[in-house]
Amino acid sequence: MLTGLFDIPVLGLILQLLDFLLNVVTVNGPVILSLATPLALGAMCGVISERSGVVNIGIEGMMLASAFSAWLVASVAAQAFPAEPGFFFGVTPALLIGLAAALATGVAFSLVHAWLSISIRADQIISGTIINIVAFGVTAYLDLLLSRTSQPSGGKFVAFAPPQALLDLPVIGWLFRMVLAQGPITMAAIVIAVVFQVLLFRSRWGLRTRAVGEHPKAAETVGIDVIRLRYRNVLAGGLLAGLAGAWFTIDFGTTFQTGMTNGRGFIALAAMIFGRWHPIGAFGAALLFAASGALGTAIRTTPPPGQLGEILISIPEQVFSALPYLVTIAVLAGVVGRSVAPAADGQPYEREATH
Amino acid sequence: MRSRSIALVGLAVVAIIASACSSAATPVPGLKIGLVTDVGTLNDKNFNQYSWEGAQAGASAIGAQAPQSAVSSVSADIAKNIQSFVDQKYDVIVTVGFAAGSDTIKAAKANKGIKFIGVDQSPCLDASGVEDPTFGCKGDAAALLPNLVGIQWKEQQPGYLAGIVAASISKSGHIAAIGGTAAVPAVPNYMLGYASGAKSVKSSIKVELQYISPAPDKAAFADPAGGTAFAKQLLAKFTDVDVLFQVAGLTGNGVLQAACDAKIYGIGVDVDQFLSTPDTAKCTVVSAEKKLSKNVSDQIQKVKAGTFKAGTAKLDIGSNDVGLSPFHDSASLITPATQKLIDDAVAAMKAGTLKACDENAFGGCNIPK
Repeated sequence: MLTGLFDIPVLGLILQLLDFLLNVVTVNGPVILSLATPLALGAMCGVISERSGVVNIGIEGMMLASAFSAWLVASVAAQAFPAEPGFFFGVTPALLIGLAAALATGVAFSLVHAWLSISIRADQIISGTIINIVAFGVTAYLDLLLSRTSQPSGGKFVAFAPPQALLDLPVIGWLFRMVLAQGPITMAAIVIAVVFQVLLFRSRWGLRTRAVGEHPKAAETVGIDVIRLRYRNVLAGGLLAGLAGAWFTIDFGTTFQTGMTNGRGFIALAAMIFGRWHPIGAFGAALLFAASGALGTAIRTTPPPGQLGEILISIPEQVFSALPYLVTIAVLAGVVGRSVAPAADGQPYEREATH
Repeated sequence: MRSRSIALVGLAVVAIIASACSSAATPVPGLKIGLVTDVGTLNDKNFNQYSWEGAQAGASAIGAQAPQSAVSSVSADIAKNIQSFVDQKYDVIVTVGFAAGSDTIKAAKANKGIKFIGVDQSPCLDASGVEDPTFGCKGDAAALLPNLVGIQWKEQQPGYLAGIVAASISKSGHIAAIGGTAAVPAVPNYMLGYASGAKSVKSSIKVELQYISPAPDKAAFADPAGGTAFAKQLLAKFTDVDVLFQVAGLTGNGVLQAACDAKIYGIGVDVDQFLSTPDTAKCTVVSAEKKLSKNVSDQIQKVKAGTFKAGTAKLDIGSNDVGLSPFHDSASLITPATQKLIDDAVAAMKAGTLKACDENAFGGCNIPK
């Protein structure tokens, strides 16, 4: 129908490009959303803690440690409680125990971070850095010890199979496939993003969180317990990082590999900034990052035919993988709209003497 | 203030101990063997791990101390890790991977008293004994660097056999292989062998050969989630592909995961992945192997026995140093006719009448433009 227009010079090329982009997104919707999941959850972990004034760059380490414990605990639990996969998401007791272990690990690491940055008032960047190093070292060491016994893992959640009729719907069928043909952690991430967005801007907790992140002294004078609120938010962030970690080993994959988060915790921070410290914004940024990765892959593996393909192939593929970060830099520099961190972000809060 | 410093220092100490544990190289007395990994991890259930097991087996066979390992997180670590073994006066240094080739040549040139074993390497020197980036290889590596042996396999041969299997079990006539990067010759060797093996069974078969990364980096060999995503994307585009060969190390373990998820056949690489990665065993039909462990162990034993031969040890199917793994649970897929094709190909390659790909002067494959 439209192909006739593709022959028009320049405009035809742009139309071909749009057609190609649409094709990449519709064909690869499920993969893009899957890959966006750990980035989105990590970014929301950043949002919840930074909105209350605590910088968290330990997301990478929290995710890695949680991925490890989800895998290890699920694997041990599968031996103890062998069970057939359930109807929904192939759930087994082992997987649920593994998921719980991942969440607990995320919370445990964030408790260390909260204690250091809120109670002890240590440098939050150093604390996060140490968490990253500890998590990498400990998991690498334990993985090395465990690799001598090559025991099977506890399996993984199975992606939901939506009814074929939905997928066959014209125009919007791909959207159903993208959102519904997913494991439980990805689906949970979507729900969390929406709920978190509403809570942050429409609830008492959200108002208090933002107040504490912008001006903790003022918040304290109206009776908000700054320390307690920051603790709660950082621990909630740990839950999100734990969920992101579980995605690696019991949802998308089944085994732990040393350093398998591979920098995604830092990319999550970029998504948080790009999303301007909004949960939905962070999710959108994560989707964009994942989509640009998929685009780079698509251009290499299945380039569009004709002139457009030749042009795209001639661009070094590194450009496509660098694209999201260039955009992040542009956003940070205020070129494409401004992204401003909460005013008290990273500043430890010290109560004034009361007597 | 004080408790803050104590807490941070305490955590920092834990961090240093924890990170040191995974890559420590503590000095031990006696004959010392050190192994420097390729970029990735020691327990990648693949290339590094099996080279490491070979080093351990070799050390124990000659009654040497247990070897030490140094893990390279980035390619810049390789030279540093080699130097740290040199500084600690190690007797034998094993370097793993094509990417370590240049650093190994430099270290071997500077330390003639130390024996170097380069896994997946073939030292190529000019007449003056310096590495030749143009691959003229005019210098006699064995004479110029009598303390360095590179181990090189003809990966195209097991790749060819894997291609025969793939073409025989494919129902759709459309198969694929995913490699880490074309920049490491072993990867295209496997894949081009796979393609010609498949075409030898069925000339009309469609074979997708795709590489994940342009360079031997983490994305290529150390990112399983990325491998799964890459494979899922390929399978979303080519929905009828029903056999997937992985040539991407740890990243490729994620590729096998994608094959399992899509309920199609997977083929493993380098080691018997039915055993090394049990989670994907149920869809791993076979693996294209090179006998990493045995060959590294052999070289270490040669050092001890005094039969060390410098230059490049070119290993192929003639000495059974490459080949297919057992079929394990998938044996029922292999018909007698398929088995005959495999046996005939092995015999022809051993006799030298069958080239598994368009071979170049160095025993590798010419990559078609």
